[in-house]
Amino acid sequence: MIQLYLDPSSGSLLVQLLIASAAALVIVFATSWRKIKRLFSRNKSKTAVSDDEDENEDD
Amino acid sequence: MKTKTKMISLVASFRDPGGFLFTRDGVLYRQVNKAYAEDYTRLMDSGLYEKLVKAGLLIPHTESDTQAADEKRLFKVLCPERVPFISYPYEWSFSQLKDAALATLSIQKRALKRGMSLKDASAYNLQFHKGKPVLIDTLSFETYKEGEPWVAYRQFCQHFLAPLALMVYRDVRLSQLLRVYIDGVPLDLASRLLPVRTRWNLGLSAHIHLHASAQKRYADVALTEARGKRKLSKDALLSLIENLRHTVRKLEWKPAGTEWINYYSANNYTGIAFEHKKALVEYWLSRLSPKTIWDLGANTGVFSRIAAETGAYVISSDIDPAAVDGNYRQVKESNQQNLLPMVLDLTNPSPSIGWQNRERDSFLQRGPADVVLALALVHHLAISNNVPLERVAEFFAGCSEWLIVEFVPKSDSQVQKLLRSRVDIFNEYTRTGFESAFGQWYTIQSSSLVRDSERWLFLMKRKCHGNRCWLI
Repeated sequence: MIQLYLDPSSGSLLVQLLIASAAALVIVFATSWRKIKRLFSRNKSKTAVSDDEDENEDD
Repeated sequence: MKTKTKMISLVASFRDPGGFLFTRDGVLYRQVNKAYAEDYTRLMDSGLYEKLVKAGLLIPHTESDTQAADEKRLFKVLCPERVPFISYPYEWSFSQLKDAALATLSIQKRALKRGMSLKDASAYNLQFHKGKPVLIDTLSFETYKEGEPWVAYRQFCQHFLAPLALMVYRDVRLSQLLRVYIDGVPLDLASRLLPVRTRWNLGLSAHIHLHASAQKRYADVALTEARGKRKLSKDALLSLIENLRHTVRKLEWKPAGTEWINYYSANNYTGIAFEHKKALVEYWLSRLSPKTIWDLGANTGVFSRIAAETGAYVISSDIDPAAVDGNYRQVKESNQQNLLPMVLDLTNPSPSIGWQNRERDSFLQRGPADVVLALALVHHLAISNNVPLERVAEFFAGCSEWLIVEFVPKSDSQVQKLLRSRVDIFNEYTRTGFESAFGQWYTIQSSSLVRDSERWLFLMKRKCHGNRCWLI
């Protein structure tokens, strides 16, 4: 049903705030984890390779 | 003496108070209004414009001193590089929509790094130019304010993520929902249509399912009330973009059991017939030296590639999303710049849609082309879809002045396949019947039996010019 006076914007905003904060936490955790793994890894260069193609997109 | 010029405002950009598109004497301009002056200056001075253009993500423009369309609001007039053919998201294959989504996120990431943010994430703002998705709306950027969320987040989910997920997890044909919902697939609808297992995909679970529930739950809460004093750090915002990008990149679609993708190896073409057909098409196109060619029913674009070698801009359309996706993948691999694959059902080509039915042009409004290629197509329209041959000819005549068309007789195994499942009511489907039906609209300039086959190829010229003898 289409409800003409109801607006999805508030829900979108709240979800964005929630997901962005969670995603930021995940990234902090993942980066730390990678660093820890690198510390114990023999082949340092291998783990240092990023899977992010766009890493170098902005010099 | 002042010369009389023809100025037309374009409806596609009417919603933006920052500026609008217009054409004067056929040249496309974009007026930047005073209201957008600050953001435009920042885009240019921050180096963002240069970076994006260099990366092939934003359409280049020059500032023009042509007369403005609306002097009162004028800040500047831009002359953007022209995209040869405007296509719409419901005409893109899966990989095209996915690449456009990734381009949007890449643009947003670079913008944020230079203190700007995309205020729109509309799929219509991207166009395929020189084979790649490019942002054509130069006025899409606004100054980023620390703590602010991404205003276009919902639009991104509706225009890109929801249709892509539906194509992967439900059915690739659901891209056609974009034709119905001009501002993208509503998330509550996407959430209902997606299979339950997508709830285990963290990205889709959050950006679509949770998003849709939150929209419903907070529907009558005012935005300021919902937000309170919450702020979003730039790092968190970049993480959101990264997460969206990760979610989009993980979405993969592969055709399953399509009968078209292996068409060239499966049909009854021998090498000799194919080579002769290719030679004829090459020869006729070289005589016509067209600027635009529409290859209708192009399958994976074998003949579109042959046509593109003339240097013309080729639209390569097919009804099968798998064939079009295969075509686009080849465009990408070979860095082909003058070939645009698109999904199009010729029995129901894209209509004009949106506000006043004028926001997005119909397929035919985006013509005419110089030449139409209709190879191994007519039997599908005439036999599978019961379109009388003179109507088929009339349709082509509405697309271009020149036509290269193939006639496949009933005795051909491909036509036999079509007739197997229907009563043969097509008495006029003979070469004579074909020539007489097409003769109402065209004069046959040249024709040839394709060697080692029963098929005929024709070069035809439309009988009259302009709009006088055919109506769209």
